[in-house]
Parts: sequence; C-alpha cells; structure tokens
Amino acid sequence: MKEASDDELVAAVAKGDGAACGLLMERHLGRTVALARRMMGNQADAEEVAQEVFLRVWTHADRWEPGRAQFSTWLHRVATNLCLDRLRRQRGTVDIDEMPNLVSEEPGPDRRLEADELAARVEAALQQLPERQRAAIALSHYQGLSNTETAEILEVSVEAVESLLSRGRRQLRVLLATEKDELLRSRETSA
Amino acid sequence: MANEITLERFSAIVEAYGASPARWPEAERGAAEAFAASSAEARSLLAAAGALDAALAAVPVEAPSAALAARLMAARPRAIAGAPAARPRSAFRELIDTIWPYGSPALPTGALAASIMLGIAVGSVSEISVLNEGLTAAEETEADDRLISLALADVAWPEEWMQ
Repeated sequence: MKEASDDELVAAVAKGDGAACGLLMERHLGRTVALARRMMGNQADAEEVAQEVFLRVWTHADRWEPGRAQFSTWLHRVATNLCLDRLRRQRGTVDIDEMPNLVSEEPGPDRRLEADELAARVEAALQQLPERQRAAIALSHYQGLSNTETAEILEVSVEAVESLLSRGRRQLRVLLATEKDELLRSRETSA
Repeated sequence: MANEITLERFSAIVEAYGASPARWPEAERGAAEAFAASSAEARSLLAAAGALDAALAAVPVEAPSAALAARLMAARPRAIAGAPAARPRSAFRELIDTIWPYGSPALPTGALAASIMLGIAVGSVSEISVLNEGLTAAEETEADDRLISLALADVAWPEEWMQ
C-alpha cells in the first residue's frame, strides 16, 4: 500500500480502509498544517483548518474522480480557500492589541533565542501582508508549488501570481527593514 | 536566441521567486541561470533576494499534533461490516439503467396485474360474507345498526373519556 497513488488511497478511504487514511495523513497532513500555519500565523488555527480539510476528504472520498485533478493540488486549494474564508471572517473582529508586534523585546544572548525571535518577527511580517499576497508566498515559496499550480489554486493567471509574489516580497523587505531600524534605535537608547 | 533573457526579465523573476533557481519558472530557468553567471548586476539582485529567502527560511514548521491525527483517525469513514463488494455492471445492465433510471415499470405493473387476478379468482370461487353469514332478516338489520353505532361511537369516545 505504501506505493499506492493518492487516487488509489482516496478510493480505499471511501471503503473505510484505516491504513489508507493513515497513509494519506502521513503524506499530506504535515504539508496542510504548514500551509495553514503560514496563512493563519498560529498553530491552533492551522490545525483547525487542516482538520476541516481532512474531514472533507473523509466525507467526499467516495465522490473523488481519479485523473480529473491532482489530489495534492485539490488539497492545497481547499486549505487555501478555508484559510482565506477564516481570515475574512476574522478581519472584522481583530483586536488591535492582539496584532503581532514587529518590534520585539531586547534579544537575549542565546543564539537559539535570537533565531526564535527572528522567526517570530518574520512570521509577524508575513501576517501583515494582504491575504492573497501571503497565499501566493505560502504556496509558491513555502510549499514549493509551480507558478501554474499556484495560479490554478488562486484562480488567477501566472502573471497575476508573479505580481502577487513580487509585491509580497517587496512589502516584506520594507516591513523587516523598518523593524531592523527600530530595533537598532531601541538598542541605542537602552545602551 | 530564443532562450536568452533580459536583465529586466531576470530582475522580475528574482523579485517574484527569490534567489533559488529551483523556484524559478521551469521554462526560463536555464536562461536565467546562464544570465546570472555572466552578469554582475544579476549577482547583486541575487544577493538581495537571498537575504529575504534566508529570513523566510527562519520561520519554523511545527509538525501536526498527535491529538489532531487521533481526532482525524477517529472520524475516518468506516467499512460497513458484511457489506457485499460492488459487482461490475454489465453493458446490458448499464443500458437498462439508462432507459429506466428508477427501475423498470414492468415489476410494479406485473405485481398490480397479479393482485387483480388473485382478487377475481378468490371472489369467483367463494362466497365471502364475514358479517351476515347465517343471519335472519331481523338479525341482519340489528347487526347493521350495531355496526353504524360502532362507527359513530369513535366520535363520542374522547368526550366520554374527558368526563
């Protein structure tokens, strides 16, 4: 069963094959959570989205048509759309005090701590991006999908994907550079 | 040459996809790599994009929790015990299903015809009288009255029970 294609596994899932469910999760759950994490900015929301995605797989497995679409692309599309829906719903209820703070506290001497802080700052900068730019970066840069797959998932042209990626990366550079300057200034004043 | 690219296009590729050739569009990858090897400006663009790539790589990926995997396994579809495996349908069966998607009308029509014939056959060979068998004319009238009062009584019962 390890060598079975995704289509074959989905067919087995529809018949209630537990091993096929486990194998499908082994192949795709980690990547689904990773995509949702880039989009949502926290692990709890990411796991909720991934759960919803896989519950849809369980529910619709008997209606899956092999060869009509690539399973992993379909999975990315469902996950991306669920994230975008959640983000749109959250937009009206975001508390300004809960927004991620790009300027962090003074970093500790430990290099691990610095790496954690850099990660937190970059993740916060990603969350500042418009949702579709963030989705393009998540799908193309982090998930490693081709520009045609990313275009298919976001239902735009390849040119539009390039534009979303360029604007997203430019915005990230600005956000991270501004933060770096502010961090340096805060260090100078505290010294 | 068709596979040569301009500095402008190279810049657009690096701006969008970053410094790693693995992320560049496949159709332009070879030309872009050749351009990068021959242009100082291209290398400068790559260095700037590489710094952002490194920052993006710092964001960690957490593995899914065991609780999530357990919840999903608990919610997975289950096989129905003893359910027969679906048999492949013949071409004839496919044709029949296309013509009568809800089944052939021959079956209910046949069942109706059979029940009518049975009713006629039973009626013709026996004289069935459940109520009036062996009764005189007077008794017959009294039995009819009882039946009528019995039929009307159900209207009165609820009122009696409510008293």
